[in-house]
Amino acid sequence: MNREALQRVASLATNTFTEALRQRFFAFLMLLGVMLALSGILLRTFNFGTSELKFLADFGFGGVFLFGSILAVVMTVQLFFSELESRTALTLLARPVRRWEFFIGKFFGIQILLAVFIAVLIGVLGALLAMRSWELGREALRLGMPEPWFSTHGLLVFAFLQCLRLAIVSALTLFVCSFARTFLYAVVVSAMATLACQLQGIGDAALAQNKQETLLHLFVENCGRVIPDLQVFDLGAPLVLQREGLPATVVLGVIGYGLLYIPVLLLLGIWLFRDREI
Amino acid sequence: MPVSSAMSFLPAIEIKNLLKDYRTSLRGVKLRAVDGLSLRVPENSIFGLLGPNGSGKSTTLKILLGLVKPTVGECSVFGHPAGSIEARELVGFLPEAPYFYKHLSGYELVRFYARMSAVPTGVLEARVAETLDLVGMTTAADRRVGTYSKGMLQRIGLAQAIVHDPQLVILDEPTAGVDPLGSAAIGAVLLAMKRRGKTVVLCSHRLGQVEELCDHVAILDKGRLVLEGAIASVLARQEQHVLTVEGWSAAAYEAVKSALEAHNASLLNVEHPRISLEKLFVEKLSRNTGEKTSSFGYAHGREEQYGPLGRPETPPAAQPLPHAPAVEVSLWHKGKKPPTLPQ
Ligand SMILES: Nc1ncnc2c1ncn2[C@@H]1O[C@H](COP(=O)(O)OP(=O)(O)OP(=O)(O)O)[C@@H](O)[C@H]1O
Ligand SMILES: [Mg+2]
Repeated sequence: MNREALQRVASLATNTFTEALRQRFFAFLMLLGVMLALSGILLRTFNFGTSELKFLADFGFGGVFLFGSILAVVMTVQLFFSELESRTALTLLARPVRRWEFFIGKFFGIQILLAVFIAVLIGVLGALLAMRSWELGREALRLGMPEPWFSTHGLLVFAFLQCLRLAIVSALTLFVCSFARTFLYAVVVSAMATLACQLQGIGDAALAQNKQETLLHLFVENCGRVIPDLQVFDLGAPLVLQREGLPATVVLGVIGYGLLYIPVLLLLGIWLFRDREI
Repeated sequence: MPVSSAMSFLPAIEIKNLLKDYRTSLRGVKLRAVDGLSLRVPENSIFGLLGPNGSGKSTTLKILLGLVKPTVGECSVFGHPAGSIEARELVGFLPEAPYFYKHLSGYELVRFYARMSAVPTGVLEARVAETLDLVGMTTAADRRVGTYSKGMLQRIGLAQAIVHDPQLVILDEPTAGVDPLGSAAIGAVLLAMKRRGKTVVLCSHRLGQVEELCDHVAILDKGRLVLEGAIASVLARQEQHVLTVEGWSAAAYEAVKSALEAHNASLLNVEHPRISLEKLFVEKLSRNTGEKTSSFGYAHGREEQYGPLGRPETPPAAQPLPHAPAVEVSLWHKGKKPPTLPQ
């Protein structure tokens, strides 16, 4: 890998990102996410006390989780297929641009987009939590109750973990795009794969409960060994709202888990895309 | 990336026994898009690849660029295997019906492509400006590509194909949907490329323009080569000759006729030479837009004035059609091959 290749990947990523920023779909999902996070505050007339922060945080986490996943799947497919449909992929790949550069450029462009999305949502959530914990804190002081508390540091770690989670989703989606022929096929298959990765942990838990050797059990068990488990990233509550937080080893373990899957998925995608006729 | 002199005897493109089957269904039904094609494109020429719809032209070009893999056969570009990085460094490509990134301005688009072709940063801005000027898009360069008309898209497409100054330019229907003035101007750019030693390969259904521009043509049908050769030799009726004469009169007619008969040749036909409708269109319209008309310098509605670029082929304004008073004479020589006429 040389300097020129890096420059090309950087140019491709920037172009992908600026293209994505103009898409209405992105603005729409961002708006929905922010609205979901804000909707928690509408319910503040009921005073939940300390548990209100958890209630607020859950709305914010939900926004990142739901709309982030949709964004990671749909925008990835959209940005990939728009290059094929407008034939810009032809003009790029007829140049000394290697297939992997194109693929990785797309991936990083999408990561910038997802990072912006997460930053905005977590920013809104952080502001809400700060505002509410200050109000509730005064109230608690008056009533002589324990002050509500949340961890800004934990929120940042959570944001980073969500970047990794969505990076896996988008890498998985790019992998599907590398062989998918149509937009719809790519969206449906990627969405189902993402769902499978999310629910896989639940499947495992169910397996652990009743040990049987049926075919279905074997299948789910073996799937669990290969496909990534996205549930491991859902550490919002312990990171943000528990005073003791999480041990560094747990967080590092999850980061390592993400950093293991992303290159594997990308390499598989590049391998399939390399010989694709476009 | 100049081609070394040791390679200059190589053809720009060499295609040997190319065969391409597309899989059209999961049951393995195949469609033969290119069927045993062999071609050589000489360096520093304009080569026209012709054929009806679906005859395999675009497929052949895509194989040359490594975008599609051949089923059988070999292609090389300046001696490098088609699709290799070395080959791709020497080529510029405009695909058919491109759309490009709508969110960029024309300038940003061409700069993006220049970066992707590793144009050195030091000359990047100058090169982009120069290319935009060459295709007459300087004035529209700040507008978003999404607002461009079809002809402007083709021109910006041509700009991205030549911004890195490639040795070989491959254009798939560069003048589709472009008006005659625009396509004449694209033609002028291609001729300028040839003058600078470049090779151009183009697919087009506008045979009039192909005839004017190309040195060589090949015609494909159902993936097979039907005809190939230099345009002059392919089109000429070798046994007949045309003289173009000024100051024709009845007396001259009689004199020429008897002189020819004395040489065992006969005068078959006397008529006024015609220019093509395309040429007439270009001449009329460029005259209406004033004296210093650029190759793309016509007004498409008032706001679309393009940059200044003299088009050498266009005669100056308010001059009569150059061939109008001339008379064309077809001769047929009965004896052996007569000496070739001066051009
Ligand atoms: N990706 C593909 N998959 C299957 N068949 C294809 C594919 N691309 C082209 N073909 C088929 O290959 C044949 C040749 O197509 P090609 O696009 O090369 O023709 P063309 O000469 O460029 O035609 P046109 O003048 O319409 O552009 C056509 O029958 C077409 O349907
Ligand atoms: Mg075609």
